[in-house]
Amino acid sequence: MISSVWHRLDHGARHTLPVATTLLCCLFGVVAWPLPYLGTVSPPLALMAVYYWTIHRPDLFGTAAAFLIGLLNDLLNDLPPGLSAFLFVATHEIIYRQRRFIAGHSFFMTWSGFAATTLICFFLEWLMLQMIHWQGIPLLPIFMQAILAIVFFPLPCWLFIWLQRTALSQS
Amino acid sequence: MFVRSSSKGWSRVAAISWRGALQRFSFVFFIVMALLLLILGRVQPMAVDSIRIRTIDTLAPTLDAVSRPMTLINNTLSNMEGYFALRQENRKLREANAQLKDWQNSVAILEKENHELQALLHFKVEPNLAYISARVIADTGGSFSRGLIVTAGRTDGVREGMAAMTGDGLIGRVVEVGDWSSRIMLITDLNSRIPVTITGTNDRAILAGNNSPLPKLLYLPQDAVLTIGSHIVTSGHGGVFPPNLPVGLITADYGHGNYGLVPTADLGRVNYVRLVDFNLKGGIFNTIATRVETEGKSKKH
Repeated sequence: MISSVWHRLDHGARHTLPVATTLLCCLFGVVAWPLPYLGTVSPPLALMAVYYWTIHRPDLFGTAAAFLIGLLNDLLNDLPPGLSAFLFVATHEIIYRQRRFIAGHSFFMTWSGFAATTLICFFLEWLMLQMIHWQGIPLLPIFMQAILAIVFFPLPCWLFIWLQRTALSQS
Repeated sequence: MFVRSSSKGWSRVAAISWRGALQRFSFVFFIVMALLLLILGRVQPMAVDSIRIRTIDTLAPTLDAVSRPMTLINNTLSNMEGYFALRQENRKLREANAQLKDWQNSVAILEKENHELQALLHFKVEPNLAYISARVIADTGGSFSRGLIVTAGRTDGVREGMAAMTGDGLIGRVVEVGDWSSRIMLITDLNSRIPVTITGTNDRAILAGNNSPLPKLLYLPQDAVLTIGSHIVTSGHGGVFPPNLPVGLITADYGHGNYGLVPTADLGRVNYVRLVDFNLKGGIFNTIATRVETEGKSKKH
């Protein structure tokens, strides 16, 4: 009886892993990463997590999770509420529809998919923010941040793969 | 046999189409919710700010824990840089020390003279300023906004409008205050506008952030000719900041009245800030506070 309860708890905890890691990525995303010549840039870790878990465990990472984590990202990053939520939900939907194609190929395909997703998301965010604030925002720092995110992607991706293999391989 | 496999197949197809419909419905529902929130943020900014600071307040201990490893890495990197530049630094310090000894004598004479002149004019000395030191736990916004979250809030005496400074100069001002944490808008943020004066020429301008690491000078007089190396200090207009707080340095002349400048403080490496209350009556926060106070008094009457 007790072992059954523990088993169920363990099973439940493992199933919250995609949401928990994305949440943690969202919090780590607001910590400053000072890099020389680039100023203060932080890779969009939450977007990386949303992208990865939508491809590999969409059953454990739904649209509601993407929306709520996006909203938290907006509140923490002083962005208009709903902006990241909109982008995360849209990313979730598009990647969900393409996941079999992306996951069925090599890691290079996953990486290319992330590169395209990041560039589109950053461009849309830049465009929407300009419309909301009604003033120009320089594109270069945003482009630099997107490039850094693309270059940096394999590292958190490797962590997600390791987590998936160790904690979610049986379920 | 055929009937059983056929019914199984139909139920699977129904489950898949049901899941697909649910996915499509939730997508449309949350997209509409996000757009409604965007509109709400424009219509009710005060309510959104209140929710924002409450969320930050609740998450402040977690952010504090998460930021500690990064602070440690920052400090270690700074220490390593310091070790590598030790010889050069030592030489510079010796030169500076020799210069300071000369200045010390001059300062003593000037201080004495200043006291005598103040006494002569019945000069009112400014009261000691209240300041609060706080640790930076988050650097928010990335390329879309520039701000910091610090571990000091209303319970520590922080109020909206306080100046955020480091040893090098002004870095921004407090825009939202929670019970345990506060948010600072940096001088590089898109919404930051600070009235400044350029030392030497005394030309006035507005230092405007644009979310890039390098803010710009707006409304500089057309005939202004600035020299590279000139300091940019607060002018004191608007009553948000007192005059003469160092903000930036002119680094380049691009011609046609366009100048390059850098903030005096290294905004990429701020681990601790000093929040200073200059007790000034200007700025949007004080206007709101005064209005609320007046409304409260009129209701009582």
